[in-house]
Amino acid sequence: MKSSTTCQEWLNSLPPTEGYLTNEQSIGREFFLENGMPSKKDEAWRLSNFNKLNSFLSLPTTIDHEEIKSIFPEKDKNRERIIINPNENPILNIDLPNGLEKLSNREIEDNLGKIVQSTNIKNDISVCLNQATSKELLALKVKSNFNQSLEIVIPSIEGKSISTRVFLVIEEGTKLDLLQIFTGNNNSAQNHLIEIKLESKVELTHGLISLGEQQKSSSICTLAVEQSEKSKYSLHSIHHGWDYARFEPRIIQSEGQASTIIKGLQVTKSKEQIATHSLIRFEGPNGKLDQLQKAVASEYSHCIFNGSIEVPQNAQKTEAAQLSRNLLLSKRARIDTKPELEIVADDVSCTHGATVSQLQDEELFYLLSRGIDSKHANSLLLKGYYDEVISHFPKSAQKWNFIEKLIKDIKK
Amino acid sequence: MISSTSETILSIEDLHASVEDQEILHGVNLVVKEGEIHAIMGRNGSGKSTLSKVIAGHPSYKVLSGSIQFKGKDILELEPEERARIGIFLGFQYPVEIPGVSNLEFLRVATNSRRKELIKSELDTFEFEDLVKEKLKIVEMDPAFLERSVNEGFSGGEKKRNEILQMALLEPVISILDETDSGLDIDALRIVASGINRLSQPNSATILITHYQRLLNEITPDFVHIMADGKIIKTGNKELAIELEKSGYDFVDKNTKEKEMAK
Amino acid sequence: MTQSNTVEEIVSQPYKYGFITDIETEKIPKGLNEDVIRLISAKKNEPDFLLKFRLRAYQQWLKMKEPNWSGLTYSKIDYQDLVYYAAPKQDIKKKSLDEVDPKLLETFEKLGIPLSEQKRLSNVAVDAVFDSVSIATTYKEKLAKHGVIFCSISEAISEYPDLIEKYMGTVVPINDNFFAALNSAVFSDGSFVYIPKGVECPMELSSYFRINSGDTGQFERTLIIAEESSSVSYLEGCTAPMFDTNTLHAAVVELVTLDNASIKYSTVQNWYAGNEEGVGGIYNFVTKRGECRGKNSKISWSQVETGSAITWKYPSCVLQGDNSIGEFYSIALTNNCQKADTGTKMIHIGKNTKSKIVSKGISAGHSKNSYRGLVSISPNAEGARNYSQCDSMLIGDKASANTYPYIQSNQPQSNIEHEASTCRISEDQLFYLQSRGIDFEESVSMLVSGFCSDVFNELPMEFASEADKLLALKLEGSVG
Repeated sequence: MKSSTTCQEWLNSLPPTEGYLTNEQSIGREFFLENGMPSKKDEAWRLSNFNKLNSFLSLPTTIDHEEIKSIFPEKDKNRERIIINPNENPILNIDLPNGLEKLSNREIEDNLGKIVQSTNIKNDISVCLNQATSKELLALKVKSNFNQSLEIVIPSIEGKSISTRVFLVIEEGTKLDLLQIFTGNNNSAQNHLIEIKLESKVELTHGLISLGEQQKSSSICTLAVEQSEKSKYSLHSIHHGWDYARFEPRIIQSEGQASTIIKGLQVTKSKEQIATHSLIRFEGPNGKLDQLQKAVASEYSHCIFNGSIEVPQNAQKTEAAQLSRNLLLSKRARIDTKPELEIVADDVSCTHGATVSQLQDEELFYLLSRGIDSKHANSLLLKGYYDEVISHFPKSAQKWNFIEKLIKDIKK
Repeated sequence: MISSTSETILSIEDLHASVEDQEILHGVNLVVKEGEIHAIMGRNGSGKSTLSKVIAGHPSYKVLSGSIQFKGKDILELEPEERARIGIFLGFQYPVEIPGVSNLEFLRVATNSRRKELIKSELDTFEFEDLVKEKLKIVEMDPAFLERSVNEGFSGGEKKRNEILQMALLEPVISILDETDSGLDIDALRIVASGINRLSQPNSATILITHYQRLLNEITPDFVHIMADGKIIKTGNKELAIELEKSGYDFVDKNTKEKEMAK
Repeated sequence: MTQSNTVEEIVSQPYKYGFITDIETEKIPKGLNEDVIRLISAKKNEPDFLLKFRLRAYQQWLKMKEPNWSGLTYSKIDYQDLVYYAAPKQDIKKKSLDEVDPKLLETFEKLGIPLSEQKRLSNVAVDAVFDSVSIATTYKEKLAKHGVIFCSISEAISEYPDLIEKYMGTVVPINDNFFAALNSAVFSDGSFVYIPKGVECPMELSSYFRINSGDTGQFERTLIIAEESSSVSYLEGCTAPMFDTNTLHAAVVELVTLDNASIKYSTVQNWYAGNEEGVGGIYNFVTKRGECRGKNSKISWSQVETGSAITWKYPSCVLQGDNSIGEFYSIALTNNCQKADTGTKMIHIGKNTKSKIVSKGISAGHSKNSYRGLVSISPNAEGARNYSQCDSMLIGDKASANTYPYIQSNQPQSNIEHEASTCRISEDQLFYLQSRGIDFEESVSMLVSGFCSDVFNELPMEFASEADKLLALKLEGSVG
C-alpha cells in the first residue's frame, strides 16, 4: 500500500534526521514512505481501530521543557528511578549508582536493534514508528553488583506525540527487579521501544504498568527481550485506561534452557481498544514458558489478544503453556483472542487454552446471599480475577494505585 | 517345589547397563530356576527398576556388557514384544495411561500375540470376553474396567490389579513385578498378593522387586537379594528380609564398607 | 531417533488407489471463458436460471484474486490449462446399472464401492461420480418411497429446478471466495439430497468421487436440504489416480436444516497426495458450509483427511436458529510434503446455540498440518456455548503442527472454551504395549488410533470400517 496523504504530511512534519539515531530514523521513515500506515490487509493489525491511530501522526512531536510536569509517587529507598524525557538523553543529568553503567557507543552500535530484528516480523509497523521518531536512547548496562531495584518512568505530555527508546543489557548472573511505568495524558500519544538482553543466568522480574488515565490517550509499546541460556524472565504487565493501546512483547530464548513467565492483564471500558500481540520463540532446547493473559472488556470496549508461540526443530523438549482468559461484561463490548502455535520439534509439550465468559453468577450470588451489595461483590470478584496477575508485582508497584483504578472503572 | 532338576529360566551374568549415558548396573549376577520366587530389595536408586527394564528390553536402557539368557538363549537382541511373547512379563511400577485405547482391545491383542507363540488358537472378541471375565475374578476387578481406556483414570490399586490381570492372561514363564506393592492399601495388597500366588506354577518363576517386607508376608520368597549401587551385594532366604526390616538399610551400608575395607 | 524413523516408515504406506481406468473419455477443450460455461450448461440441458447463475459467478470470479493468506505456497494454477468437463463416453445417464460400462463398475468395485445389485452395501445408498459426471445412484426407488430424493445434482437440476433455484448459492454465495466462485461457474456434477418434512432417512446416503483424468479439474457441487423434523446421515469418499501433475479439486457443499432437522455429514478424503518429494497430487480447495436455519436443528461435520497434496477446507456451521447445534470432528493425517490447512467456523447467531469442535492432527515427514478455526458469537446469541479441543501429534522432527483458533465474542451471556495440546507418540506408552507382546507397528497404530478415538466415535457405523481402512493405508496393522 502506498503512503496516504496524512502519512506523507506527518513524515514532512518530522524534524530532519539527526543525532546518533539518524540511521534508525531513516529506516523507519522510509518504511512509512513506502508502506504507509497499517490497513485491514495486515493480518496483525486487522482488528485495529484505525481512526485511533491517527493521533500518532497528527499530534506535534516537539516538546518544550516546561510541559513535563507529571507528579510521581515518592520512590522507595533502594530503588533507582530514571525519568525519561523524550527530548534528551536521560542519563546525562544523573549520577549512575554502582552497578549501573552507560553502554559505550561501540556496544550500542553493535547491538542496538538486533533483538528486534531477530523477531523478524513482516511489516513491523510498531517498531518502524518508533524508529522514525525516536531522538534519544536510554542505553544501560546493569551489572551483577547493582543491588537496587530499577524504576524507569516515562511521563506523558498533554497534546503531544512522544517516542522513547530503551536498551538494557543485563550482565551474566544479575538478579534484577525492574519496574516500568507509562502514564497517559489528555490527547496524547506515545510509542515505546524497549530492548532487553538477558545474558546467561540472569533473573529479571519485570513489572510494566501502563495507565492511560486521561481522555484520548494512546500508546504503542514494543518490548523485545532476548534470553540467553539459564536465564529467567518474568513479565507482569497491566494496561488500563487507554483509548487505544497496543502492546507487543516479543521474547526470544536464543540458546534454549531458559524460562519465561508472562502474566498480562488488560482492562477496557467505554470505547477503548487495547490489544496485546505476543510472540515467544524458542531457538534452543529445554525452554519453558508459562503465559497467562487476562482481559476484561466492559461497555463498548474491545480487548484483543494474539499470542504466537514458535517451536522450531532445534527446540526439543520445550515446555510451553499459554492460557488466555477473558471476561466479557457487556453486550456491546467485544473480545477477540487468537493463540497461534507453530511447532516443528516433536519432543515437546505445548498446550494452550482460551476462555471467554462473564463473572460467574453462582459466585456473585454467594456473595450477595451473605449480605454484600452487588457493587462490592463485583469488585471483590474482579479483584480475585486480577489477583493472579497483580500479586506478582513488586510491592513498590502498589504506590501507583492501579488496583483501585482497575476496579473503580468497571461497572458490570 | 524346587528340585535340583529344575530347569534354569533366567540367567544373568555380569550385567552392566546404562541409561542416558550413565552406568547404573555394575555387574549383576542372578540365576532363576523353575518354581522359584525371588525377592530383590534395595534402596531407591540401587538399580532394581533398571534391572527389570533391561530384562524387558526398554529402548532407553543400554546393555554395556554381560549377558541375559532366557532358557539358555541370549535375549539381548530381542525386541520388547518378542521377549513378552516368549514369556517374560514385566509388571510396571507406574503403569502408563493410554487415553483412547480400549483396555479390552489392548488385552485381547496382547493375549493373542502370546497365544500365537504358544501355538494356541487366537481368540475372537466373544471367546476373549469369556476368558477375561474368568481372569477378572482373580484380581476382583469390575468388568467395567474393560470398557475404559488403558489405565486411564485408574487409581493406583486399580492400575496394579490391571497389571496382574495381564499377567493372568499372558501366562508368563517369568514375571518380574516392579514395586507392585507400592501405593496399595492393605486390602488391595492382599488381593494382588493372592493373585500372584494363585498364578505361580511349578514351571514358572517370579521376581518381586520391593522396598518393604510387607509384600513378603503375603508371598514367601525362596531367595532374597539385596541390591546396592547396581549390584547384588547379598543373597539369603526370607530371614534376610526380616533382618533388613528390623535393622534397616544401614546394615547394608556397613556390610558394603566392611567389604571395601577387606579389599 | 530410531523410534521415530520407524514410526515414519509405518505411516508411509504406498497409495493403493492410484490406478487409472482405461476408458474413452469425452473432454471439452482446455480453457475457461463464457463459451466454455455455456457449453457445460448446454451439455447438461440446464434451465436458463442456472446458466445465468454460472455466468454471474464467472463474472465475479474474474474480479477475484487467488487467496494467499494461509501461508501455504503452491505452484501456480494455470486456469486456462485445465479441462472443465470430462465424462466417460456413454450415452446420457443409463436408466439401469446393467447398461453402465462394466469398466466403470469394475473401477468402483476396486475402490471398495460395489454398485451392482448383488454386491452393493446393504444399508448405504451410493451416488458414484466419475470425473465430471455421476454414473450411478443406487437404491433410488427404495428412497423414493419415503419421499427422499437422492440423485446427481445434474438430474436434480432438470427434475427439481424449483428446489435448486430456491437453495443453491444461498449458503455459499457465488462470490464467497475465489474457489467457490470458480465452482459456481463451472461445476459439473455432484449429489443432491432432499429429505421431506418428518422423515428420518432410512439408510445412509453416500457419494463417492473419483478423479480419473489428469488434466481435469473436479468441481462437484453438493446440496442437502433437511426439511422440518427430518434427519439424514451422508457420507462422502474420494480417491484419484497418481499423476505427477497437480489436479485441482474445488468443490462446494451446501447444507440446510430447518426446524428440528439434523444432518450428519462425514467425509473420508483420500485424494492422491503426490509422491514422497511432493510431486503431483490433488489441490483440494473446498468450501463446505451448513446453515442451521431452523430452531433446534443440528449440523454435524466429521472428516478423516488423509490425502491431497494441499488441503484448504473449513466445513462450517452458521447457527441461525435458536438452540441449534453445530459440531465438527476432524482427523487430519499428513505425511511427506503434504500440507493441510483445515478447521471450521462456528458462527453463533441464534440464542442458546451450541458448538463443539474436536480436531486431531497427525503430522509426519516434512508435512505441514494446521488447524485454523473461528468461533464467533454475535451480540444476539445469548446463552451461546462453544467447546473446542485441538490436539496435534508430531511424528519425526521435520513435520510441523500449527494451531490458529480465532475466537471472537460480542455476547457476555456466552461461554467459550478452547483447549489444545501437542504431543508425540510417547516412548513409555509404546514400550508398555510392546512389553505385552504387541509388535511395534501395531502398537503405533493403536496409539494413533487411540489419539483419534474421540473422532472415530463420531463416525457413522457403516463408515467407521472404511475410515479404518483408509487410515490403515498409512498406518499398517489393524486399527482398533
